[in-house]
Amino acid sequence: MGKTAYINDQLFEIQDGETILSFVRRHIGKDIVPTLCDAPNLDPFGACRVCSVDVALVKDGPAKAQASCHTPVIGGSFIYTDSERIKRLRKNIIELVLTDHPLDCLTCEVNNNCELQTVAAKVGIRDVRYPAGKNHLDKKKDLSHPYMTSDFSKCINCGRCVRACDEVQGEMVLSMAGRGFDSHIVKSFNDNFFESDCVSCGACAQACPTSAISDVFESKSIVADKKVRTICTYCGVGCNLDVAVVDGKVKSIQAPFDAEVNQGHTCLKGRYAFSFYNHVDRLTTPLIRKNGKLEPVSWDEAYDFIADKLTSIKATYGPDSISGISSARCTNEENYLMQKFFRAVIGTNNIDSCARVCHSPTAMGMQRAFGTGAATNSVIDLNYTDAIMIIGANPTDAHPVTGAKLKQFAMKGKTTIVIDPRRTEIARYATHHLQLKPGTNVALLNMMLFYIASSGLEDKKFIESRTEGYDDFKKQILSIDIDQMEKITGVDRNLVKDAAMSYAKAPNAMSYHGLGVTEHSQGSYTVMLISDLAMITGNIGRRGVGVNPLRGQNNVQGAADMGCQPHQGAGYLNSYDPEINKLYESFYGRKIPIGKGLKIPEMYDASIAGNLKAMWLMGEDLVQTDPNTTVVIAAMKNLELLVVQEIFMTETCHYANVILPAATFFEKSGTFTNGERRIQRVQKVVEPIAGTKSDGDIMVDILNKMGYPQAPYDPDTMLQEISKIVPFFAGVTWQNLAENGKQWPVLPDGTDTEILHIDTFKRGLGKFHYFDWKESEELVKNGKQYPYIVTTNRELEHYNAGTMTRRTGNVDILTEDVIMIHPQDAATHFIEEGDMVCVESPRGKVDIKAKITDEVKQGVLSTTFHFPDLTLNMITSSERDSEAMCPEYKIVAVNIRKSKGKYKEKV
Amino acid sequence: MSKNLSDLARRKGLEKNLFEELGKAAVQTGTPELDEMAKLCDEFLVGKSTVYGTVSFYDFLRPENKGKKVYVCNGSACLTAGTQTELKTKLRSKFSAQEVGEMCCLGRCHENSAFHVNGTNYSGSDIDSIDSICKKDHHTKELYHVGSIGTPILTIAQPPVEEYYKIYEKVIATDPLVCLAELKDSGLRGRGGAGFSMAFKLESCRNVEDDMKFIVCNADEGDPGAYSDRYVMEQRPHALLMGMMIAGYITGASVGVVYIRGEYPESVTIISDAIKLLHDKKFLGNNILGTNFNFDFKVIKAQGAYICGEETALLSSIEGQRPEVRVRPPYPTQKGLFNKPTVVNNVETLANLPFIMQNGGKKYASIGTAKSTGTKLISLDGHFNRPGIYEADMGTSLRVIIDELGGGFRHPIKAMHIGGPLGGLVPLAKIDSLTVDFDSFAKEGFLLGHASVVCIPEDYPLIDYIEHLFRFTSHESCGKCFPCRLGSTRGYEMIDKARNTDYKMDRQLMDDLLETLETGSLCALGGGLPLPIKNALKYFDSELAPYFKK
Ligand SMILES: Cc1cc2nc3c(=O)[nH]c(=O)nc-3n(C[C@H](O)[C@H](O)[C@H](O)COP(=O)(O)O)c2cc1C
Ligand code: SF4
Ligand code: SF4
Ligand code: SF4
Ligand code: SF4
Ligand code: FES
Repeated sequence: MGKTAYINDQLFEIQDGETILSFVRRHIGKDIVPTLCDAPNLDPFGACRVCSVDVALVKDGPAKAQASCHTPVIGGSFIYTDSERIKRLRKNIIELVLTDHPLDCLTCEVNNNCELQTVAAKVGIRDVRYPAGKNHLDKKKDLSHPYMTSDFSKCINCGRCVRACDEVQGEMVLSMAGRGFDSHIVKSFNDNFFESDCVSCGACAQACPTSAISDVFESKSIVADKKVRTICTYCGVGCNLDVAVVDGKVKSIQAPFDAEVNQGHTCLKGRYAFSFYNHVDRLTTPLIRKNGKLEPVSWDEAYDFIADKLTSIKATYGPDSISGISSARCTNEENYLMQKFFRAVIGTNNIDSCARVCHSPTAMGMQRAFGTGAATNSVIDLNYTDAIMIIGANPTDAHPVTGAKLKQFAMKGKTTIVIDPRRTEIARYATHHLQLKPGTNVALLNMMLFYIASSGLEDKKFIESRTEGYDDFKKQILSIDIDQMEKITGVDRNLVKDAAMSYAKAPNAMSYHGLGVTEHSQGSYTVMLISDLAMITGNIGRRGVGVNPLRGQNNVQGAADMGCQPHQGAGYLNSYDPEINKLYESFYGRKIPIGKGLKIPEMYDASIAGNLKAMWLMGEDLVQTDPNTTVVIAAMKNLELLVVQEIFMTETCHYANVILPAATFFEKSGTFTNGERRIQRVQKVVEPIAGTKSDGDIMVDILNKMGYPQAPYDPDTMLQEISKIVPFFAGVTWQNLAENGKQWPVLPDGTDTEILHIDTFKRGLGKFHYFDWKESEELVKNGKQYPYIVTTNRELEHYNAGTMTRRTGNVDILTEDVIMIHPQDAATHFIEEGDMVCVESPRGKVDIKAKITDEVKQGVLSTTFHFPDLTLNMITSSERDSEAMCPEYKIVAVNIRKSKGKYKEKV
Repeated sequence: MSKNLSDLARRKGLEKNLFEELGKAAVQTGTPELDEMAKLCDEFLVGKSTVYGTVSFYDFLRPENKGKKVYVCNGSACLTAGTQTELKTKLRSKFSAQEVGEMCCLGRCHENSAFHVNGTNYSGSDIDSIDSICKKDHHTKELYHVGSIGTPILTIAQPPVEEYYKIYEKVIATDPLVCLAELKDSGLRGRGGAGFSMAFKLESCRNVEDDMKFIVCNADEGDPGAYSDRYVMEQRPHALLMGMMIAGYITGASVGVVYIRGEYPESVTIISDAIKLLHDKKFLGNNILGTNFNFDFKVIKAQGAYICGEETALLSSIEGQRPEVRVRPPYPTQKGLFNKPTVVNNVETLANLPFIMQNGGKKYASIGTAKSTGTKLISLDGHFNRPGIYEADMGTSLRVIIDELGGGFRHPIKAMHIGGPLGGLVPLAKIDSLTVDFDSFAKEGFLLGHASVVCIPEDYPLIDYIEHLFRFTSHESCGKCFPCRLGSTRGYEMIDKARNTDYKMDRQLMDDLLETLETGSLCALGGGLPLPIKNALKYFDSELAPYFKK
């Protein structure tokens, strides 16, 4: 036994460095010592003092009252949790609190769910003896915000909200103001929630022990029929959510503190943006286009129609005239079924997923460098690293919960390298911001690699024992022309050198990248250079290091894992390899195609060329989200059959022959795999609204309909099937995923893997690649005539095309897309804040409202595409990554001018 | 306290820091404008609420300070001297009601009638020259006695700088561990109130490995009635500065921060000038006098908040955070200013170091008592015949101080409030059982504290005085912990009501309140208030009885 101390005269073991509170709670129970200002995810604060206990250093010796939440246990001490004096103290403190608290519990939002109420009852307070005095009872409610609410007459000044906003979200919207009795919570400059800088993460509301800060859903206090734990459907962070259900409806969402992914935190999308699920716009019946009009039909009619059509198209044009695109928003099981349907039933490898348009270069590049196209490490590794490099990613908007953790890291002043054309939120706090010209990632990374290779900071041992190709690589990298690269990137070489040195010298360094890396013509190359950086510095295979793509969508990892790409079947097995083909054939009991399948951009080309006749989309809005809309529409129009599974009538639906109303993530079970390879359980929270079916049910129906017997959709049985064919799912079962999921590869005995490539790479040795920087064709062809570059970005409040988030309160927070313009550029074109700007590319033009900011450099513009009105993809190009065919969303050559005509009115 | 804010402040450093910038932004109008604050948020990477929260904390930054032109002292000494009502009347002939603010103790407790105009303090008969003061052609005629009994350390005349700094030259040529050993031998205890061993603090800080450490001088002497730190800064600045430099040498810190209360504008000027002189003499900078010791100073002028004298609040203040008291651990010596190892010591404590280094720790320890070594400065208020600053060996009897140094009382008094607002209320009958040292006061149920003496005249109602103490605490409470934030105000309200209406206080409730403050408060502001109140209830029971229910 290590160090010990007594609690109420009983001896217990102390954990190193623990507080009296945690010591007592661990050994004799959570509710023994009351607290008000303490919270599980916040640092001790010591404000309320009701956690006080008596501590004596010798038995029956003089005792001192100590606040247990922040006082470490002393070995051999005698702790008394409920001495008479302590009971009196607690009661007297609560009495004081109640002198400035409305006594209207019965009508309070959090009645029966209020920590103050609980503690007051526990200490047995009967009446308040003080004469009436100053108070804060006249504070007005703040109902200005679509989600956040406050009623500071209920505030007990515990400071939990302030700390949540600071320590968890890192936003510092809340503070105490004034002092002494006058102390009160303010938002920003004493604004209301709506005017404040609040990003609506809800951490403060969840932290607040009373109803002083809450939300419109009354998340804290809702008395639910049941609470179901599931996984957020938005981004690849994969936050766990506790969903409260009343009368079969989703009422509110909270974040479980024990979730390994998000530890009680979420962003506003996960916590508040759920009302889309039963929005009136939901599709509730299958539709078939008859005489040019979509008409409601029964499921049977829809299935008959589809089956007939597919059979005849297949008979006439062959299986390769049909293609499918699955969705990274759907579960692993659904994705698996869709690729199974295409391969085993249709007989084509023409199956792709939206991973194509975001992280396909990551998969490609990392597979070539390491052998596995997935994050090498976990988010928790942030606690063990000394330096981070964030390239082409804006996590505080796109991956908010991980973004908040990265921001916390950067705020501490630890080495943070941001490589981004935009001064992103984290760039503000970064120690190094390399604000390069869009499209020059390769040049910039080459510079960094040059400086590391030429300064002797390589990890020679690692390179020697774990990698191949370094000598060639080194020769090439040392021959780059730094002068030229400096000009190309527009970044001072000394800044680049400093950053490279910091990365190389850090004992442990992690890199994170996003779509600013992948959505370029040299996307896969960039990923391989990032891998080079990790290898040259030996930052692979242990805690706190690695290459960590921030996967965009909730299940973009899973869609690829499950085989929704033409060249790789379930489990990344090469679908063009005859041996593997045999394996698939015996597993599926059908003939499995071996011929090359189409990637998404190739599908458009094939349709326009008349070779592709039918397309099946599972939850994809190609027209809105894929680049060069004109081309996409032409491709859609040229099809004989377009089947769309959707929850809403999207832009793409307008071109569909058949629409199948699908269910949302609340209405089904399955698994999502987050950006750190964590397979987590999505659990059905409510029944699908009438008329809809889950994508899994739809796939099972059509498999059966077209002659392939498939058991009813059920994640448990599906995982049994998947674990037999996907090697890294070998030990996955629905039961053993439990609360916090498992990170693949999962061995047959169920052990999972936090860190990849510990002793060897998946491909044996890690491979160095060198690439010359090459100007994007878009700029080569059009740069002269269209001298500005538009790059695309995302805003926190909306998710991609906004199909879901625009049908929630988020739309009241962020109402439109804007284009960021440097003040100098704005001046050149006489553009003022809020003016409509006509942005014209070789392909078309759009009008967007100007936001003048030095977040972007001169010559660079940045905009979002969350609102369909904008049709930004009218101007984006068909350029794509040379390897993975991921579209180049991040570079569009444009010209700008102040809008004329109808848009002028809008100003 | 926010770790993030400490780390963000560290990045910006001391040279241009948020707290000072807010002070500058308030100079014109008395409070920073919002657009000014917004710019600072951007520059210092903090939230708007952060800056708003900070600004609204300080007397001289908060929006209510807007338009104030003259400040009248409302400290205990001026209060019991009864000079301030007349002073205010006189000032009102020159200033409108909105232009007159309050300040708590300008360190002119020896002659009272203290007020502050245009960044300068005045007292005594200065008010009679208010016209010239407004025209800025009046110099204060302030005068106080300085004297000693026993071994003068801080009241002895200071030699010329070159000569005096020979001590320093010797120190930085000596092994820091040897210096630390001398300090240990000296037994020096903190003079800021708590009497904590200085050597222990320096040693813990020294033992933390870090290339950034700080020596912070707590010159926020907030106790109304105390002005001995002010004396040291203005009359013996080099004792303090050299003390900090030596502390830096011992701990491995290369930056000293002198945090001086805004109510002492003259101290700020004198200390800043003294630092300039040290630069000229090459006693500061890098590789000082050819050694590898580096040291430099930063002077920070505070903005009016008593709690900033509490060391952790003080650190947050320098960082531009709200000066709310922090929980311990971590202790400042582990994670102090900017989350870096920091020693915080009082002015007087630090000013003793040169003597100890010059004469040896044992010599110092031979002065005073076994547990309270050395001397103590004592501030006597205007009720004495010879008000001023006196230095006495620890252990000197209180009677000697009062009669021989102070020359006795000018008029009948009934009690002395010794050791600041949180010190004990000593009835005259207790004088002979007290000697000036930590233990004697503690044994008798009082507190030596910073050893200021504020007299309560015979005719001054004690109920008024305890109301003043509660009001002071409720005004100065940082508001963080529940007992003090709520309790100080409720206590004030009760007494106020009992004083002004026929409401009678419930003794049980008062006892409960005092117990709650004493055992529950996070720091010694809320925790210390009960001491003088309990003294009052004990020694002046009959005077206070009418205000309580029978
Ligand atoms: C409410 C409060 C006010 C204080 N004010 C002062 C002060 O004005 N000056 C000071 O030196 N110490 C003050 N202290 C004590 C400091 O917290 C700290 O103990 C002291 O600066 C340590 O220095 P020392 O060891 O040299 O005394 C105060 C403490 C409290 C709780
Ligand atoms: S919702 Fe989040 S950002 Fe907004 S105030 Fe609360 S904690 Fe801060
Ligand atoms: S709003 Fe809630 S969390 Fe914030 S201080 Fe008040 S009671 Fe505590
Ligand atoms: S961070 Fe991502 S996963 Fe988490 S709540 Fe937000 S959108 Fe959902
Ligand atoms: S006792 Fe008063 S001053 Fe001290 S921490 Fe508590 S509220 Fe702040
Ligand atoms: S100057 Fe007024 S109390 Fe000290």
